[in-house]
Amino acid sequence: MSRILRTTVLIVFGVIWLLPVYLLLVNAAKSPLTFTSTTSWVPTDFSLFGNMAEALQLSGLGDSVLSTLLYALVSPAIAVLVGAAAGFAIVALRLKHGFAWFVVIFGGTVFPLQMVLLPLFDGYSRVGLFDTQFGMILIYTAISIPFSAFVMRNFFTGVAHNVFEAAVLDGATTWRIFIRLYLPMASSALVAIFILQATFVWNDLLLGLTLSQSDDVRPIVTTLAGMQSTYGGAQLSTVLAAGVLVSLPTVVLFLFTQKFFARGLALGQY
Amino acid sequence: MASRGSQYQWSARGFIAPGVILVAVLLYLPLLWTTFLSFTEYNGLGDPDWIGLGNFAEMFEDPGFIGSLLNTLLWVVGTLLIPVGIGLALALLTWNLPGGVWLRVPFLIPYALSGIGVGLIWSFILSSNGALDQALGAFGITETPRWLVDAPLNTVVMIIAAAWQGVGVNALLFTIGLNSIPKEPLEAARVDGATGGRLFTSILWPMLRPLTAVVVGLSIVASLKTFDIVLSMTKGGPGRVSETLALTMYKETFVNSDYGLGSAIAVFLTIVTMIAAILYLREQLSKKHEI
Repeated sequence: MSRILRTTVLIVFGVIWLLPVYLLLVNAAKSPLTFTSTTSWVPTDFSLFGNMAEALQLSGLGDSVLSTLLYALVSPAIAVLVGAAAGFAIVALRLKHGFAWFVVIFGGTVFPLQMVLLPLFDGYSRVGLFDTQFGMILIYTAISIPFSAFVMRNFFTGVAHNVFEAAVLDGATTWRIFIRLYLPMASSALVAIFILQATFVWNDLLLGLTLSQSDDVRPIVTTLAGMQSTYGGAQLSTVLAAGVLVSLPTVVLFLFTQKFFARGLALGQY
Repeated sequence: MASRGSQYQWSARGFIAPGVILVAVLLYLPLLWTTFLSFTEYNGLGDPDWIGLGNFAEMFEDPGFIGSLLNTLLWVVGTLLIPVGIGLALALLTWNLPGGVWLRVPFLIPYALSGIGVGLIWSFILSSNGALDQALGAFGITETPRWLVDAPLNTVVMIIAAAWQGVGVNALLFTIGLNSIPKEPLEAARVDGATGGRLFTSILWPMLRPLTAVVVGLSIVASLKTFDIVLSMTKGGPGRVSETLALTMYKETFVNSDYGLGSAIAVFLTIVTMIAAILYLREQLSKKHEI
């Protein structure tokens, strides 16, 4: 197919693909006064920021934003390090039965989340972790570890073992080799995993729904789901603005890191 | 060499311990508990009563569960056909095209949205007299179906909404696959005059097969777990007609407090997912042998 035809087809489909985003933005920007559900395609005014400010007051969305930021930064950061340490132990330190241990860690991500929800809810309630930020960080970390270990093991497999041996000859301890040599070497993979997992945590609904209830613990998407079923009518534009607010960080992050992300994914494949 | 390898065993155990402990305590322990509970009658009070396969029998006698199972199958099939198919088409269209990276952006934006975000947008579009009905009205079509009410139409439109979200990442994966195809056979085929369809069927498609297996496997596993979009758009309703297994599990457990039945549905969902995952891993492993 010719270049021009391909480009045209892609542009037409691209525009169609963006229509829902257009509708979201246009209607999220309508002030509750001018908002009607019967003229969705026509922009009326631009009150997006006012609506967002309004949305932050509803259902404690503002509190949710802060706690979700905490979860999306801390948990993937820990998971990346823990996963890298596991990969380091298996590949560089040649842990006995390393592959079996890898399967144990990676197996943690194979089954659906539904398998752990109820015991987590039950267990968290018993030990006082239910509806706490610490409890949320803990589970988001654990969920992110298997994928992190998977990518890091693959990454370190590509590193020649005499890099490790040379460092040993220089008298470095394993801890030092890990921190000073292996981690810096893997920075692109670490960032790729971090971005993917941070996006996952930011967009999580199910764990938030199950393990939290108060405004300052509940993650943002769970709060949005609650808003969607609580508010309608004239307040719909405020809810849509909340949707924009919730979606903006991941969309921006993803677009800025698209190429990098593709490379990270490619790394993860081999 | 052997002695040097074993010299670091204690250190290695230290490095792997945090990962193993966190995963064991927070994922495997709950997993085992859910498996146990699936054979019991339990509502969170008192002790679980062992009832063997009672929950599983109850499950398959419940028309609501059967409907949920059928909806989930519809999700699997729909997610295979639409996002994987369009994803591949997009990857082929943008492949080696100047500016292709930018032309892909519109399809990637929805991928970064949360399921609830997607559900919010599409509920708005599909509500009665919503954006879609207005657009159809402009063309004189006023008799529109109740998109989110009539079954199985509501499941179909939700699959389309999910496809809208998922196409971009599939396109990205297929693009990575296309870029990793060695140049020589491609050039050889081009010299021999293969273009368009011929090039695709004789070179690209066979070379993309392993990656297609990955994309298809990921799609199947993900679609089996469909939850967010359905919760957002229909809550499984009206009644229970658009429920998926993941949603049925959630409702039985946390709404009806039937912990045993909820656990049994989770176990069933896991078995189905495992079968899908094993098939997908087998494809993966046989690919390694070929190389």
